[in-house]
Amino acid sequence: MEFFVQQFVNALQLGSLYALIALGYTMVYGVLLLINFAHGDIFMVGAFLGVFGSITLDLPFVPTLVLSMVLTGLLGVGIERVAYKPLRQASRLSVVITALGVGLLLENGMLALTGANPRSYPQTFITTRVYDIGGVAISNVKIIIIVLAALLFAGLYTIVQRTKWGMAMRAISYDKFAVPLMGVSQDQIISLTFLLGTGLAAAGGILWGVAFPVLNPYMGLRVGWKAFVAAVVGGIGDIRGAAAGGLLLGFIEIFVPAYGDSIGISSTWRDPIAFGLLLIILVVRPTGLFGVARRQKV
Amino acid sequence: MLFSVQDLHVSYGSIRAVHGVSFEVDEGEIVTLIGANGAGKSTILNTIAGLQRPDQGEIIYRGANLARMDAHNVVKQGVALVPEGRRIFGNLTVYENLRLAGFQVSRDDLEARIKLVYSYFPRLEERRDQLGDTLSGGEQQMLAVGRALVTGGRLMLLDEPSMGLAPILVQHIFEILAEINRQGTTILLVEQNAHMALKLANRGYVLETGSVMLSGPSKELAESPEVQRAYLGG
Ligand SMILES: Nc1ncnc2c1ncn2[C@@H]1O[C@H](COP(=O)(O)OP(=O)(O)OP(=O)(O)O)[C@@H](O)[C@H]1O
Ligand SMILES: [Mg+2]
Repeated sequence: MEFFVQQFVNALQLGSLYALIALGYTMVYGVLLLINFAHGDIFMVGAFLGVFGSITLDLPFVPTLVLSMVLTGLLGVGIERVAYKPLRQASRLSVVITALGVGLLLENGMLALTGANPRSYPQTFITTRVYDIGGVAISNVKIIIIVLAALLFAGLYTIVQRTKWGMAMRAISYDKFAVPLMGVSQDQIISLTFLLGTGLAAAGGILWGVAFPVLNPYMGLRVGWKAFVAAVVGGIGDIRGAAAGGLLLGFIEIFVPAYGDSIGISSTWRDPIAFGLLLIILVVRPTGLFGVARRQKV
Repeated sequence: MLFSVQDLHVSYGSIRAVHGVSFEVDEGEIVTLIGANGAGKSTILNTIAGLQRPDQGEIIYRGANLARMDAHNVVKQGVALVPEGRRIFGNLTVYENLRLAGFQVSRDDLEARIKLVYSYFPRLEERRDQLGDTLSGGEQQMLAVGRALVTGGRLMLLDEPSMGLAPILVQHIFEILAEINRQGTTILLVEQNAHMALKLANRGYVLETGSVMLSGPSKELAESPEVQRAYLGG
């Protein structure tokens, strides 16, 4: 029982991190029908800005988190303005290639800047404490990650559902044509989408670095791909879907190796099984868990 | 003169959709542009609204030239387009559609204007939490007009509001448009349904393949042989 609860908390932690990153993919896709393949590398930049905040500037956890979210958010807005905006009328393929190029630029730029040695946050960043909750040992780090991710998601959900900015984001994803007629600048909404999506990826990056303290410039590749798959499985374009997809992936990735051995499945099968299950979901529901069939737009 | 379009030229690549159109609308008027499929009616309205760039020409509203203005800034000037096909956001509720139309409007004005819209179209208030997708065509048209009112448009451009609606509904919506006009909104109405349009409007222009062929008071147009033959089945 204790083992199960611990694995459950681990799964929630990992799933929350995937969810935070998946949100950015899904939001950008929602407004631009663009898959931002640089998003995983933006997540990496967010994690490294945590190193900058905590070590270079010697800031505590919360200011570092805020700093990284703001700077990474602005980086996301800048990337959209410089790299994607000029291609709004261009073919999908040119945009995808540009996004991959931006990702390479970020990876290699970070490599040049920080070198190949893995980095981590200082011990004092979050002082680890282990709580005994009903006989189960749970570290405060996990609780912090899960609670923060939940709060960030709730904040985003409120913005998207309750504010005029969120309404504009949803409206763009339905029909771009009429949005300016409401007095809304489409460029502003797109910038806001990038700001929020990449800001959340930065939060994901820092929390990831807290949970798994080995940061390197390529850390965004694997994590980015997985979060992207989570967004697709959840139903790309829907933020509830990104959260659900991220959590689902976290649960599969933790529970397969945790219980696989006892039924004769080696833990090296973790990724094939995780992606196989996700593939089955997509076969059954091609639009993902929360997705609705999109009207073909011209 | 509240509003005038002078020598407007618009093209899509090599297709010249509008060439040299001029017309005027006075404060408080209802003016209609009528014309067949492909005459360039939507192109003209979309260009006024800032969704399309003209090659040449001026669009003057209260002394400001709208011809090179972005669409969201045209709205700020007080010009609102009710687009062809209504273009309701189907994934937003009725209230959210109206709320979004008030994006640039202050909180107080917004609530007052939404109330006004509900007073013209009580159906929308009954349906306020329903998604746009679930409305009937007539209700969607009401919502499209409602959104234009919420933006604060003092000049309302309507692109074929009768499209696809039963005659009785068209009648109803045109009556509300007349009322909206009496309350001080100037209207430029584009229609294929020349019969209804000329009944509502004070004056009209007849558009053929991108140019104005005829213009005059609605009564005269309705009686002219060309209009009778081409648009009124006479
Ligand atoms: N996006 C576009 N690309 C190319 N040509 C276009 C485009 N939109 C309109 N046209 C052409 O421009 C001309 C005018 O079209 P427009 O839609 O303005 O006519 P309309 O009078 O509104 O017609 P309808 O009554 O069918 O709505 C037509 O010949 C049309 O084929
Ligand atoms: Mg048209």
